[in-house]
Amino acid sequence: MTTDISKSGGSAPKDEPPRSAPEAIRAIPVRHYGRYVAAVLAIGVLVAIVLAFANGDINWNAIPDNFFDDRIMKGVRETLILTFLSMLIGVVGGITLSVMRLSKNPVTSSIAWFYIWFFRGTPVLVQLFIWFNLGFVFEYINLGPIYKDEWSDFMTPFLTALLGLGLNEAAYMAEICRAGLLSVDEGQTEASQALGMSHNKTLRRVVIPQAMRVIVPPTGNEVINMLKTTSLVAAVQYYELLKYAQDIGNSSGATVETLLLAATWYLIMTSVLSIGQFYLERYYARGSSRALPDTPWQKIKANMLSLSNRSGVR
Amino acid sequence: MTAMVKAEGVHKSFGHVEVLKGIDLEVASGEVFCLIGPSGSGKSTFLRCINHLEKVNAGRLYVDGELVGYRQKGDKLYELKDSEVAMKRRDIGMVFQRFNLFPHMTALENVMEAPIQVKGQAKAEARERAGQLLERVGLAEQQRVAIARALAMDPKLMLFDEPTSALDPELVGDVLDVMRDLAESGMTMIVVTHEMGFAREVGDSLVFMDGGVVVESGHPRDVLTNPSHERTKSFLSKVL
Ligand SMILES: Nc1ncnc2c1ncn2[C@@H]1O[C@H](COP(=O)(O)OP(=O)(O)OP(=O)(O)O)[C@@H](O)[C@H]1O
Ligand SMILES: [Mg+2]
Repeated sequence: MTTDISKSGGSAPKDEPPRSAPEAIRAIPVRHYGRYVAAVLAIGVLVAIVLAFANGDINWNAIPDNFFDDRIMKGVRETLILTFLSMLIGVVGGITLSVMRLSKNPVTSSIAWFYIWFFRGTPVLVQLFIWFNLGFVFEYINLGPIYKDEWSDFMTPFLTALLGLGLNEAAYMAEICRAGLLSVDEGQTEASQALGMSHNKTLRRVVIPQAMRVIVPPTGNEVINMLKTTSLVAAVQYYELLKYAQDIGNSSGATVETLLLAATWYLIMTSVLSIGQFYLERYYARGSSRALPDTPWQKIKANMLSLSNRSGVR
Repeated sequence: MTAMVKAEGVHKSFGHVEVLKGIDLEVASGEVFCLIGPSGSGKSTFLRCINHLEKVNAGRLYVDGELVGYRQKGDKLYELKDSEVAMKRRDIGMVFQRFNLFPHMTALENVMEAPIQVKGQAKAEARERAGQLLERVGLAEQQRVAIARALAMDPKLMLFDEPTSALDPELVGDVLDVMRDLAESGMTMIVVTHEMGFAREVGDSLVFMDGGVVVESGHPRDVLTNPSHERTKSFLSKVL
């Protein structure tokens, strides 16, 4: 059962009665000669680049030949897994850090502040190298009775890559989440507390769901960035798309060709993600931006009579 | 009748600004207690102190005989834990000027939320109850849904902070009707309002606040028609 909250029925204004149609304007448009010149120049440069590549010593056939090579496919899979897991660490860590940062306890909020300061203030490649080389500092990892091993056995390239990317991402996600949490009206927290909901319940049931509309769109962008950033872990010997492509390139001599191949795969993946991002942003922009053409998804939404889109406030 | 709310010398400051400068009053059980006064006089602040959304700096505030926000042992006060404060808030419903409905939930979900999350009521039961409450308040409009949401917790005290101030004029009457019904059912209510008509007809007592103190109190009809203080007179001449 749902309730009609809206005040305005929103009936469209009646069409004006047809008057005698005024004469249509037929004016000669302004000519933008500068635009023609710029277009010609741009096309010229483009042709030059294409020609240069066409005449260069590139074995174009190497790209389609290796496009579905087993190692490339494995690399694509590793890249996707790494992206997903790093983002998972980033999101969970980011939410935790942002809540810590907003906490009234000065110790917790300072720790969060310091973490964010450090991880955002240093290049992720440097962080990856640090994780990779920590084995020279710690010979063993010793978590008391739980776990004990040689560092190099523990810190596999995979874990190095995952920690390096995930912990760095957490710092960025923390800032995104913080903006999201702050975007929720204070009245929401008050109403929830006045109903007797605990601090945690208020956060989980009221604040975070509403913060999502601010958090999710930039997070989509972070995923796309992360997909590309994973290529950095080739530097710490983790085999993902770039590393496999380099290997193939080195052994076959088709270095540039396999790099272009890898670039094509990255493009395919980021393009797919960008389409998802487009719908994500459109979905979260509903109500707040001007009328967008209905997607199938939006039509479904419109049929769900929820308070939020009925009150027409946001 | 026992006092549902009792304030003794309640002080509240924000930084260096003293907003409440010693409020003394008593709200009897089952009473409709109206609070009027100019903007900035501390009405909302006092209301928020009652369910501990604001901490009192000095004085004592009791709800149903229990100290708000603290436990007294000997002559020492101990702050209550968050969970204990939350527990006490269950019994106090609050209705805000700006509704503060949860926009990510339907009207029904708004009303069901607290009984399920706070009282651990079964979903089906909460849904049925919420449906009844929405029917009782007459559906249709945000502030009435907000009232239903507060009532769903079966409070023994309801706080209203200018519940009709943000409403379109044609909706004011309906909300006041709901409040009147609620008053007739015996609910203890503290109502901050500019609706003098409502105060006169429904109110059992009325307090005029200005500058963080109670200037004048009494039966609404007496205070509104025959104010004894200059400040009350000049305020009423502006709003009536
Ligand atoms: N959180 C706060 N921090 C600082 N000052 C505050 C805060 N809340 C309220 N005040 C101040 O306290 C004073 C009293 O505010 P309050 O909201 O209680 O007044 P009111 O009587 O409810 O007025 P109105 O009719 O405008 O709602 C105001 O001057 C306000 O600026
Ligand atoms: Mg107020």
